[in-house]
Amino acid sequence: MTDTSTRALAAQATRATTTRPRWRRALVSIAYFVIPIAVVIGIWQLVTMLNPPAPFFPQPFAIIANLWDLMFGSPKAVQQVFYGEFLQTVGRMALGFAIGAVWGVVVGTIMGLWRGARETINPIVEFLRSIPATATLPLFIILLGGGNDMRVVFIAYGVSWFVLINTSVGVGSVHKTLLDVGKVFRISLARRLFRIVLPGAMPKIFAGLRIASTAALLLAIVSEFMLATDGVGYMLVQAQGRFQLLNMWSWMLALAILGLIINTLLEWIEGRILGWHRQSKSRA
Amino acid sequence: MTENTTVQAALVVDHVSHVYGSGPSAHHAISDLAFSVQPGEFVSIVGPSGAGKTTLLRTLAGLLKPSEGAVIVDGNRITGVPPGMAMVFQDYSRSLLPWLTIEKNVGFPLEGKKVTKAEKKAIIQESLEAVGLGGFAKRYPWQLSGGMQQRVAIARALAYRPSLLLMDEPFASVDAQTREGLEDLVLKIRDTYGMTILFVTHDIDESVYLANRVLVLSRPPARLAEDIVVNLREPRDQITTREDPEFIRLRGHVARLIHSGGKPE
Repeated sequence: MTDTSTRALAAQATRATTTRPRWRRALVSIAYFVIPIAVVIGIWQLVTMLNPPAPFFPQPFAIIANLWDLMFGSPKAVQQVFYGEFLQTVGRMALGFAIGAVWGVVVGTIMGLWRGARETINPIVEFLRSIPATATLPLFIILLGGGNDMRVVFIAYGVSWFVLINTSVGVGSVHKTLLDVGKVFRISLARRLFRIVLPGAMPKIFAGLRIASTAALLLAIVSEFMLATDGVGYMLVQAQGRFQLLNMWSWMLALAILGLIINTLLEWIEGRILGWHRQSKSRA
Repeated sequence: MTENTTVQAALVVDHVSHVYGSGPSAHHAISDLAFSVQPGEFVSIVGPSGAGKTTLLRTLAGLLKPSEGAVIVDGNRITGVPPGMAMVFQDYSRSLLPWLTIEKNVGFPLEGKKVTKAEKKAIIQESLEAVGLGGFAKRYPWQLSGGMQQRVAIARALAYRPSLLLMDEPFASVDAQTREGLEDLVLKIRDTYGMTILFVTHDIDESVYLANRVLVLSRPPARLAEDIVVNLREPRDQITTREDPEFIRLRGHVARLIHSGGKPE
């Protein structure tokens, strides 16, 4: 016992002396991210400058400048349009994601806990999720009309599968001994669910949420391609129809930034909730 | 088998049988097993591998309903997990909650029980100190060695304040030196807390070293091959007890029983 703790201390000491300061590590990881992008943009910029007539591929600096203008430039009305449309998309994406995630966790937990439920529901799940979610949009429009509700339900539907399947697998794979621990110490059923089963399934649930967040943005944009009057998807189609390629590219750039922000946010939350998981795995 | 005792038995196993499955593929794990354990006794259960030791322990814990017979704890026939009973599992790496710190793991049995925060804190601290891990409250299970993790599992059982402690091959996967330390720890805890302990093991020496009584099970379907009283000098000592001729005689006797599959010589 003592020798293991001294060994751990020694390991900590060597790690402390060999690792670089935090800010330097952060700088290096930023560089790894920024440099490849900078290279691609640089080549693109050079090519478009050498060959002026390339109407479908505006110069990247022009795209960035245009997006900057839409976001922060004048007049105020343009800015309002940008943020208005952007928030429409973010709003329905977030709502659809939340509803789909909750639904997925609830049904996935039921499936993970009871074999009967799993065997009954599984064929239905396998069949429905084989239909590409995007292909169900026309059906949702017929059933729910062309309004915002339809889009939210559509996103929730498409997103739920990823969460549902991961939750079901995660809950089902919580080790039997842990469940026995809950029973032996006479922990109530609800506490066993929230203190043993769901935390144990959390790594898998989170993996599902990560995929679901990407799908949510995708489905939000696709849903705005049909019968929409607002949102980024709508603006993209409009810009394309009017041949405003600079605007089209700017909206795409804005979406890329949104996607990055969502991913970073989820990664941060995951680090907070699942720090134990990553660290315990790295030791095993 | 319920002898004419004046004290109420802590545990009575009343002709318990357990069968997995049915028809020709049915597996008879336990067959008509009967014994009783007095309060404060340390009883080891040994048997050939696959003798249904774990089945028996899960039945005693109320996790498994016996096909026949009954388990009586403190005079009450159990229908589920009885109160006042704790268990230490074989697989410590899977019995601790990896997302909780050591202190929260130890305090886990008190979840939803009527205990104030201050009481809970005191119980956790006391339990951790009883197993020699007072300074490790804020660590996580996976930061500790196997032997230390099993100490945490024992501390968790202590925090529950059980009168009956079931241990399912708890030291099967730790190295020999760690194992000796843990054996003496269990004996110390028994003396401090005065609880009844049922200790399942496949290690013959361990079964004799620890117990007041060794129950030897036969090959499956498990029956009681012999109920052996261990009268070794207290306190037990890893070196002198194991040199004691009586210890050597007993371990030889148990070993022969097990090697013959539980049939008397």
